[in-house]
Amino acid sequence: MKGKHRIILETERVKYDFTVRRNITVILGDSATGKTTLVDYLNLYALNGEGSGVRLQSDVPCVVFTGSQMYWKPVLESIKKSIVFIDEDYSFITSKDFAETVRCSDNYFVLITREPLYNLPYSTKEVFGIRTSGRFHFPEKVYHEFYPIYADTPAAYPSQARVLLLEDSGSGFDFFCQALKKTACISAAGNSQIAAKLLQIDRCSPVTVFADGAAFGAFMENLLSVCRLRGHTCLYLPESFEWLLLKSGILRNVLIPEILQAPENYIESSKYFSWEQFFTELLILNSDKDRRMAYSKSHIPEIFLTEQNKRKILDSIPDEIRQMLE
Amino acid sequence: MLHIVFGEMDGVNYGPSWFKANYHPEWLKDPFVQEMILDVDKSKYIDGLVIDSPVFGPIPPERLSGGVQTLIMIYEKPDLVFNATSCGGNCAKWLLKIGQFKDVTVNLRYLMPFEPSEDLELFIENEKRTIHGFEDYVCTAIKYV
Repeated sequence: MKGKHRIILETERVKYDFTVRRNITVILGDSATGKTTLVDYLNLYALNGEGSGVRLQSDVPCVVFTGSQMYWKPVLESIKKSIVFIDEDYSFITSKDFAETVRCSDNYFVLITREPLYNLPYSTKEVFGIRTSGRFHFPEKVYHEFYPIYADTPAAYPSQARVLLLEDSGSGFDFFCQALKKTACISAAGNSQIAAKLLQIDRCSPVTVFADGAAFGAFMENLLSVCRLRGHTCLYLPESFEWLLLKSGILRNVLIPEILQAPENYIESSKYFSWEQFFTELLILNSDKDRRMAYSKSHIPEIFLTEQNKRKILDSIPDEIRQMLE
Repeated sequence: MLHIVFGEMDGVNYGPSWFKANYHPEWLKDPFVQEMILDVDKSKYIDGLVIDSPVFGPIPPERLSGGVQTLIMIYEKPDLVFNATSCGGNCAKWLLKIGQFKDVTVNLRYLMPFEPSEDLELFIENEKRTIHGFEDYVCTAIKYV
């Protein structure tokens, strides 16, 4: 499945209005915000349709998984081109087997859980909480909206960063080591190691963390807790390093800006487990005709390291982050 | 004291399901339980099996949030281990309060945001030691969740 899908669910008491953009969306947050109520109403609609008293607007079917833990796999594999909601009662969502099922699926999945799903590459942008607006007084209607949990991550601080901590140990690490003169670059050698590595860095040193936001959702809670402990930490979480290279405009394909404007219209969920994979493939496809540019994740081609191209890539980073690094 | 087992564990109980299947009406008459319901769910206990929800009006106990149902089970059945991952951050202070007058053990599979405080004290079963303060809590928890 591709594209973004707006879902409006309404009863006399509640209204939910939200948009699903990628193959994996996670809902978490405080208790009693209406997560299970949303799933209960979707399930009522699934059982009795319009006759349920629940009104649902969606351009694709919304399905709630309610079966036995033992038979989740054949049930999920039988659902096609739908948005599948799974409430937190189901422990199978943490398994590698479930991750493999999602990887090959043309469905989108909305998973309600606070447990980090380390086997699933979900985006920091697709982790939501639910909050209510309206008067909150029975019997008046309560409006539930989704809000991005990680929208207020520490973006910038006033002093110069001394250290850039990268998830990457390949081309991204190579690039920043060569492009930044005043900032020390350290690789955490993997997204799962970033929080622990950040704890080891001297707390007097301001740090910027660079990670692939497209697949970093599961690691955010631990990282933010460490950020709160040490202070002086700023996060820069673009989709991926390859996305940054595509955004820089070095590759002259007129379609690239259009794709980056609305990637969800180009990314088929059954082909790409995460948007990060799509951007890497797009970069490789657009660079392999010129041997000097041929990109690989393990090593950055020299052509991206000319003064002019380094400047283009750095200028693609938001001003407030770039100014701290240079 | 509040004891925590971080990460997956065998034989853990799921609070909302235990509550729905086994709750006793008299539990709701306990002022401590009523206080938890009011704080987390913003709902007021009325009488019998009736709770007044600001969203749904009068509701039965089965419609309380999964977080409050789990808190009540932890409080009422301290001999059992419940998965407190069903409890959001707004339940954290209640877990600590329960731990002030009962020895309870819960399973946590995420980094629950306890209020940052140097006075935070919890027993971490994975390491068989008491942690002191928020920093000790975070540094210990990230090894397991």
